[in-house]
Amino acid sequence: MQLSSERKIADMRGAYGDTLVELGKQNERIVCVGGDTTESLKTKKFGDKYPDRMFNVGIAEANLVSIAAGLAIAGKIAFASTYAAFIPGRCMDQIRNAICYPFLDVKLVVSHGGLTVGPDGASHQQIEDLASMRAIPNMRVVVPADAISVRHLIIKMASTPGPFYARLARPSSDIVYAEDSDEGLFEFGRGNILRDGSDATIIACGLMVGRSLEAAETLREKGISCRVVDMFSIKPIDAALVEKCARETGAIVTAEEHNIIGGLGGAVAEASAERYPVPVRRIGVRDIFGESARDEEIDSLLDKYGLNVSEIAKAVLEAKSKSRK
Amino acid sequence: MGFNMRYLDLKRKIRNVRMLAIQGIAEAGSGHPGASFSAAEIMGTLYFRKMNHSPSKPDWQERDYFINSKAHSAPGYYATLAVSGYFPAEEIKTLRKLGSRLQGHPVRYSERQRDHSVPGVEYSGGSEGIGLSVGVGIALASRLDGKKNRVYVLIGDGESNEGQIWEASMAAGKFKLDNLVAVLDRNRIQQDGFTEDIMPLDPTKEKWAAFNWNVIEIDGHKVEQFVDALNKARQAHDKPTLIVANTIKGNGIRHMANNPQWHGKAPTKKHTPVLLEELESEYFIAPSIIAGERENYEDKIKKVEREGVDMIHLDVMDGRFVPNITFFADTIKKLRPRTSLPFDAHLMIENPLEHIQDYIDARCDIITVHAEACTPDEFAQIKDKLLAAGISPGIAINPSTDVPDWLYEHLRDLDVMIVMSVNPGFAGQKFIPEVLPKMVSINKKLRDHGFMGYIEADGGIDASTLQQVYDAGARILVAGNAVYGNVDIHGAIIQLRHKATVALERRLLEHASRLGIRADWMKARKHILIPYANELGIEGELHAAK
Repeated sequence: MQLSSERKIADMRGAYGDTLVELGKQNERIVCVGGDTTESLKTKKFGDKYPDRMFNVGIAEANLVSIAAGLAIAGKIAFASTYAAFIPGRCMDQIRNAICYPFLDVKLVVSHGGLTVGPDGASHQQIEDLASMRAIPNMRVVVPADAISVRHLIIKMASTPGPFYARLARPSSDIVYAEDSDEGLFEFGRGNILRDGSDATIIACGLMVGRSLEAAETLREKGISCRVVDMFSIKPIDAALVEKCARETGAIVTAEEHNIIGGLGGAVAEASAERYPVPVRRIGVRDIFGESARDEEIDSLLDKYGLNVSEIAKAVLEAKSKSRK
Repeated sequence: MGFNMRYLDLKRKIRNVRMLAIQGIAEAGSGHPGASFSAAEIMGTLYFRKMNHSPSKPDWQERDYFINSKAHSAPGYYATLAVSGYFPAEEIKTLRKLGSRLQGHPVRYSERQRDHSVPGVEYSGGSEGIGLSVGVGIALASRLDGKKNRVYVLIGDGESNEGQIWEASMAAGKFKLDNLVAVLDRNRIQQDGFTEDIMPLDPTKEKWAAFNWNVIEIDGHKVEQFVDALNKARQAHDKPTLIVANTIKGNGIRHMANNPQWHGKAPTKKHTPVLLEELESEYFIAPSIIAGERENYEDKIKKVEREGVDMIHLDVMDGRFVPNITFFADTIKKLRPRTSLPFDAHLMIENPLEHIQDYIDARCDIITVHAEACTPDEFAQIKDKLLAAGISPGIAINPSTDVPDWLYEHLRDLDVMIVMSVNPGFAGQKFIPEVLPKMVSINKKLRDHGFMGYIEADGGIDASTLQQVYDAGARILVAGNAVYGNVDIHGAIIQLRHKATVALERRLLEHASRLGIRADWMKARKHILIPYANELGIEGELHAAK
């Protein structure tokens, strides 16, 4: 696995916007629907380049995703984007009936997932989306770990028929993967082992991947060999990899910027329970609503809600202590 | 009308849709007859006439799209697709059953859904308020691709409670989607009751106009008005069009009409044969404008148009085939733009083949020629010309003429058979009762040989004779003096309708009796029958029906 050799951060939304422009050049079928957040989502770049193929429908998310469905019915590959609080927050029904049921080429790419939205507070902190999107038949759910992943996953999504839900984070995040990572690393239904280990496995997605790698490093100092998996494909989940980790390391911790109910933790626990039960500990928001935090307070916000390096490390020790391995 | 729609063939197909839908609903034991029937003319006119689509190639790239947003009209929608040829009509009997392709709410057809859908279904409905947005998306994509196709979305008035309808409305206005037509099935009933009680929609037109739509209001059961509106929608530039189609929920079955109880209820299966007969018994009132004063035909048309008559009967007399002279194609041509009502031209002229093109060019909807006035070969040519022009072909026979043998080979293409009940040539003649048994036997004989059209009674039809010709099988009822010989035109038409209704109700009661469900039928139909009880002689019986 090629990981980024130097420590740097990059913006997922920026990567999305640039990739969309790139795709738009290659494929005339690519269109984009925005909801008065095109500047923020960086889809405006696409709109500036291809004004005919950009549709800003204002603050009307149910309409937004349904228009995307119509565009797909007429042969387009429609990217539909706004904040996660609103897609899917306001339009579960439309996503289910107008997009997933007919298996249309609509790619919901949203940002501001999880707690790290910042000062906007709990109304904008979408911590239920992975659970709701995962439960809809035909939907595939991905949470990229960094800007490099975003690019590869968006490209792959565009050429893979049917609906997707991709959730990006608002803040710039650690670059995990090497700049020249092979596109083969990003297959739907596959997870990547970023760091090997034998005593326990941390399975993470999104911003928590970087923190999980840090946690593994701190645990190494305590003599614990911890495997770290980037499970960017929440659905389909890489159940074979979950089983492999369960068998080989005997304990699993999941880490996600989502309610501990129904998201990555749920998916991993289900896979482990069915294939090879081992102790599982879930790091995530503990079924409560979040709160505002200024940008410079984001780390403190994550600390307060237990989504930090030390909580992950603590959970690994706890899971490992219950392990029969 | 005059839009080359082969009017009577369209009406018959829509009738077949209703018949098929009610069979499906009765078989399933659930479904929405009300919504299926209020939208029957809308869907039928689109599928059978106005839309460019291909049942043998449903994914044809240049097709017009139909999005059925008020998807609880599924039985009617499926029946429309079946009559169009998308799937076999018998399959309607599987509606809503386990393993059926005909799901309770239609599912967009795809490889994945081939077991749960039929080709031609573009959209998975069921959750209200979404379809118009989907239509906006399709219209945007079509315009982007430079296509000339049109996008039609059927929405409901109950459905318009959904905020998303208005989001979509705003978006369509913003994007100036003149390739998009929404049709509002304004039947004024939703599940819990009347729309204006549950969540008022009025002033509907003003709301949509304020959202930058071109708005046209019509009677949604008059296909000619709908066609007219669709054509006008094509003239609107930079604006989407909303057609407010004022409809009656359950239209076609009198005890279901405008009754919220029938929004989503299936009739009992044993009633089905009687309901089918009712649907099959649809009749047309066709005032003949040569009656009464000769002047001002346009005024005469306007007087009956507002009474909701079905068509205008035009008696063309040349002074040779008949002794009298009335008017010719030039007059019809002048009248044509004055009304959307279908023109039923009855050519009592010699050499009809020689003149037929004039009447085609005058944009009549039905053209009937006399069997006595043409040779078999001439009639074949006339018929072909009419069919090619999208005009319903008809043939007329005088009281003393029999159906000529050469007509039999044309029966499948024939939309009208006029059995004259006076000797043609003058208005105001007395009805010849000997025609009645002749009409009965012609009706039977022709049907046995594949005739699917309508028997038209012309001559001396008034309140005293209408029931007899109706019973004898006539479904197009030409009334001249009975309408225009009367100062009270409104009252005269009400009376004619009343007589036809009595005849209909009597037939249905007799049918119910034969099936052994008379009391049950009367119970279901009680309020409908009360005004006719005396004439039907069922006052006591009806009183007892609880």
